[in-house]
Amino acid sequence: MNIKMNPLLPESDAREAALFFVVAALCFLAVLATLVARGTYTAAEAWTAQVEGEMTVLVSDTDRRGAESAATLIEALPGVERAHVLTDEELDELLSPSFGPGGIPDGIPLPLLIAVDAEGDTTALAADIDAALAEAGINGRADTHSAYAAEVRKALGTLRIAAIGTVLLLTMTAISVIAFATHAALLARKDIVDVLHLAGAEDRFIARLFERRFWLLGLKAGAAGSVAALAVTAIIVFSAQSSNAPSELLPKLSLDQWDLMILAVSPIAGALAARIAARITVGRSLRSSL
Amino acid sequence: MTQAGAPLASEPAVELNGVSLRYDTADDILTDIDIRLKPGTFTFLTGPSGAGKSSLLKLLYLAHAPTSGEVRLFGQRTADMSRNQLSALRRRIGVVFQDFRLLDHLTAFENVALPLRVSGEKPEDYRDEVVDLVRWVGLGERIHAFPPALSGGEQQRLAIARALINKPDILIADEPTGNVDPDMARRIFRLFIELNRRLNTTIIIATHDMHIIREFKAPVLKLQDGLLFADSSYEQA
Repeated sequence: MNIKMNPLLPESDAREAALFFVVAALCFLAVLATLVARGTYTAAEAWTAQVEGEMTVLVSDTDRRGAESAATLIEALPGVERAHVLTDEELDELLSPSFGPGGIPDGIPLPLLIAVDAEGDTTALAADIDAALAEAGINGRADTHSAYAAEVRKALGTLRIAAIGTVLLLTMTAISVIAFATHAALLARKDIVDVLHLAGAEDRFIARLFERRFWLLGLKAGAAGSVAALAVTAIIVFSAQSSNAPSELLPKLSLDQWDLMILAVSPIAGALAARIAARITVGRSLRSSL
Repeated sequence: MTQAGAPLASEPAVELNGVSLRYDTADDILTDIDIRLKPGTFTFLTGPSGAGKSSLLKLLYLAHAPTSGEVRLFGQRTADMSRNQLSALRRRIGVVFQDFRLLDHLTAFENVALPLRVSGEKPEDYRDEVVDLVRWVGLGERIHAFPPALSGGEQQRLAIARALINKPDILIADEPTGNVDPDMARRIFRLFIELNRRLNTTIIIATHDMHIIREFKAPVLKLQDGLLFADSSYEQA
């Protein structure tokens, strides 16, 4: 015969409703921070890879025909995918941040620039290009954008530390809040804990009651926070896709399989943190009694 | 370290040697208490309010540790026992608290079954036993009621049933008949006597009820200002 018994810890009360909201909010923020950090990092990685795969060759003391010959020479080198002399329109676009929408004023001499799409180590390739141009008697110099890319890499490193720090801070805050709430729950249920203790319940038995309670609370609150984060991310993704806004420097929120995995794992991680916090808090509290 | 087990015939079930108890920085509640109770003894503990009866009982049911001295139950020094061994020992002690300490969110059935539940027993294994005991204390009709719906006397009977369900080796009761009528008080004490004789349960009862003490003719330990005015001369053979 299966006998239905009431739980030894009473059903949740108002305090736990407040804790549910706090844990859900923290989980929401942690998931969103993780997704945004990952999206930003992915975007920056792609952008840096693009910058690092490009070179610019400045040729001087020659006309456009000389530059075209130089481009042909460069394109024949191993490791070069494509090389072409920038057109006036491309130069206009490239220099528009400096000259504004009116374009480059007449009379200003324009440099002859060759854009090179490369694969592999651009530093070694730059040296090959410089040597090939010198051998052909063309005055030119290849720039790998290395200084610029190094700055971007440095910024990416800072971004990575900031993202990990944010997620860690939110996780630690969640654990602290749950530990505090467990302690408060333990004090509020001291009458029950005392009776169980004096009836011969082992510490592990009592701790499991609280662990289970906070595991379930963490799981539900974490799921609510993750779902909210999913909704917000989806809105951002669809808004960005429908607006056709330039997004090269914006976080690439894509909701790919990794993002979905973060969304799925976060409630479990939150619940696990809640369970561990409850176990430690209850264990400490019980050990202070006989 | 030995496991908590049945005491040897020669070992006292309860032994306190030079026990003192003090809370925080206040004066001693109990001073240099010595008690030796053999298994199967029935002992009354009396004394005026504030004499330290409840504190002494708390030492015996392992709610507190003494400030000095040693407590031995079934021959084992409690200070040397692990937390799990102390839990196992507590399962051999039934306690009727003065304030009952029933859990308001559990039914009468569930309150009585609590010691079995924390021992890991399955409800289907103890259901009949619990129902019989609840009926015996006269609460058969209230078995699904929650404590706040019960009268003081009913709550007291329920607390007694909870203390007895485990067939404890030691039963400790703090004013167990304070809220019941004289007939029920006698009935409860007859049960205690029956437990004592049939199961050799060691019983220690704190009470002010001199009628009960006179009627049941058991040795009396008297506490006054933290001092115990009795010794081995109260032991039953």
